[in-house]
Order: sequence, then C-alpha cells, then structure tokens
Amino acid sequence: MIDWLIPQTSSFASEIDNVFMLITVVVGFWYFCTVGMFLWMLVKFRARDGVRASYVTGKEKDLKRWITIPHALIILCDVVLVVGAVRVWYIVKQDIPEYQHEIGVMSQQWAWTFTHEGPDGKLNTADDIILVDELHIQVDETYLWHLESRDVLHSFSIPTMRFKQDAIPGRVINGWFKPIKTGEYDIQCAEMCGIGHGPMGARLYIHTPEEYARWQKAAAARVAGR
Amino acid sequence: MRAILPALVSVLVVTTGCGAAAGDGPERASVVFADNCGKCHGVDGHGKKEIAAPGIAGLPDWYVEAQLVKFRDGIRGAHGSDIEGLRMRPMSRTVSRSEFPALAQYVASLPPAPEESERMGKADAGKSYYAACAACHGPEGKGNKAMNAPPIGMLQSWYVETQLKKFRGGVRGAHPDDKTGQQMAPMAKTIPSDEAVTDLSAYVSSL
Repeated sequence: MIDWLIPQTSSFASEIDNVFMLITVVVGFWYFCTVGMFLWMLVKFRARDGVRASYVTGKEKDLKRWITIPHALIILCDVVLVVGAVRVWYIVKQDIPEYQHEIGVMSQQWAWTFTHEGPDGKLNTADDIILVDELHIQVDETYLWHLESRDVLHSFSIPTMRFKQDAIPGRVINGWFKPIKTGEYDIQCAEMCGIGHGPMGARLYIHTPEEYARWQKAAAARVAGR
Repeated sequence: MRAILPALVSVLVVTTGCGAAAGDGPERASVVFADNCGKCHGVDGHGKKEIAAPGIAGLPDWYVEAQLVKFRDGIRGAHGSDIEGLRMRPMSRTVSRSEFPALAQYVASLPPAPEESERMGKADAGKSYYAACAACHGPEGKGNKAMNAPPIGMLQSWYVETQLKKFRGGVRGAHPDDKTGQQMAPMAKTIPSDEAVTDLSAYVSSL
C-alpha cells in the first residue's frame, strides 16, 4: 500500500513497509478503540436531570477490568511489534549478505561524495570514480557501503529504499543494500546538520547492467583524462 | 464560513504584505544576503575565518555573479576534496538565479573588510613570486575584468592560501567548463612550494 505512494527500490523495502503497516494497524486499532470508548462514555454517562454524579475510584473489580484487560492485550501487541521490528532490524542491519560491489560514502556540510569502483572492480584504487551528489549502482546487485562524515552528524537517507543511516564523525559505518528497480531517485540528509541541511540532496541512479557498463566506461574515461 | 472569511483575508493580506516588505532591487538583495549569505560570510560580508567563509564584501559584481553561477552549475565546489566549496555549492542553489545580479551588486557595494592584523606567511618573501600574478591581477592586485582576473588585494591571506593550494592540487579549476579556473590553475602550479604559497598569500593580502 505504501508502495503505491513511494516505490520500493531495495530488497528490504517491503520488510520495512510491512513493519510500518503492522504498527499502523495495531496502534490504529487501539486508537479507535480508545476514542470510541471515550465517545460512548460521554454519551452514556451524559448529564441528566435528577441523576447525581458518583465518585469512582477504579478499585472495584468490574471497573478495574477496563484497565487490566486492555493493558494485557496491549502488552501482547507490543510483543508482536517488537518481534516484527527486531526481525527486520536483523535482516537490514545485521545479516549482511554476500556482496558484489563496494561504495564509499562521505558526508560533509552540505554534500555527498560517492566513491564508485572503477573498471578494476575494486574500491580505493587509482581508477575509482569519485562523484559529488551522484550515486550510480546496478539493479539486482548487492552493495556494501562504507559511510563516513567529515564534520558533523549527517544521515544518509534514500526514501525509496526505505533506508536511513546516521553518519558519525570519526567512525566508518558499514551496511548494505540491493536495488531492485531501475530509475532515478532522491538521496537526502535526514539529520539537521547546519544551515545548508535543506538543500543537501543528491541523486541515485539505478541502472540496468548494460546502462551501468556504459556509464562506468564514460566516467572512467573522464577520470583517466584528469 | 462568514467568520472564517475575514480570517482568511487577513492571513492573505499579512503574508502578501510580508513579501512586499522585502521590496525589489538593493532592498530585496540585502534581505536575500542576510538570510542566505550573511549566516556564514557575516552580515557585513567580512567573512568568518573559523568556518572558512572568506570576506566577500567589495568584490566586483561580475566576479561574484560568475562564481555564484559556477557553484550553482556544479563547475566550482564540485570536487570531493573541496570541503569549503562543497558547502557553498548547495547554498548557491538556495537563491534564485534571477536574483544573482542584484545580490552580486549588493555584495560589491559593501565596504571591504579591514586589513588583517596577522598573517601566517612572510609578505616580503612572497613579493618575489608575485610577478606572475601581476600580469593578470595587476601590480596592486586590483584585478582586470577584461582578463576575468578579480581583485585579490582585498582577500584574506588564509583564503588566498587555501585557494592557491586548491588550484595547485586540481581541486579548483579542474572542471572542463571552468574556463577561468583553468587559466588560474597552471599559474598556481608555477609557485615552487607550499611555503612559497603561504608567503605569496601574505603578500597578496597586504596589497
């Protein structure tokens, strides 16, 4: 359903959306139950001529169950949500699959610098393709990224991938993604990082293997020519 | 609905009024400068060394506008090692292109920053390297618009040094569309050493 609003472009995007929907449905159910009960009570116990208001402590068994039963049910729902969230956390953050490519991501006020593998297929070599505010990747390939910050806290966010990771100065944070849909999408900073935080955007290009090969050839030629 | 209408009209009047208060031309440019540029370069345009924002007050409008266009189009501040340029790049995009001329004129109208009290290099030693610079920037560093050479005597030494090092390292003036930067880059590479760059920067800012 969320996919109808924002496309899913990573292999784990549907998992994130499912947790989001689970939380929305569970919390939404209890929200409407609570509001519905309040409204029902407002009507049922409205002021009437000749009826005095009574002081209720809530200690009586028949009243107390209005608290204890929903309380137990909500705790049960919490367990369901926690299990669902931990499962997705494991998939996205901890279970790093076999990867085919690596990318260097450097954040700074207020730009993203992406280091792509050159034709040798290795990162941190002389033929690396370094681009500002442009990330090029291949569809259906798994990427290991290395995220750094030059100055302050940033957050590497690709909404269509349902992906977000803080960048912390002094640390290299590793993670992965696998794009599943070609196209051009937004990259943004999701952590307030100064006056230029708003326009700190970049573009993600997810290519087919053929397109990527053409792009890499042209970009590598530019690098070699410098 | 009758109660809401006056409120809606009031909101429209107030918001439209706010827009009109900024006015056009220099008045509008001063607001744009204070909101977008002044946060880093200072409302007086004298710069803030602690965040590597140079003094820009008094630079000619043609040069300021040209640099804004370069930053906006990704011609300057497009190298992964140009830390300060990468900061300026998105900021140039927060201002409409149509406002660049008025903004540049406003910057040019600001009184330049007072001379630096301290410089890192030895200006006397730097003088000997200045001959190559004088050919375009003039013997007194006042610039030459016909050669796209901006005045450099009013610049702070730390900024001149940073930029010279960027030109030498291929961090600035390396973009294929940066015609004027490509003129400057080979000249910067004629300076024999980093120490000479520091001394020359001290001399330039003393002009």
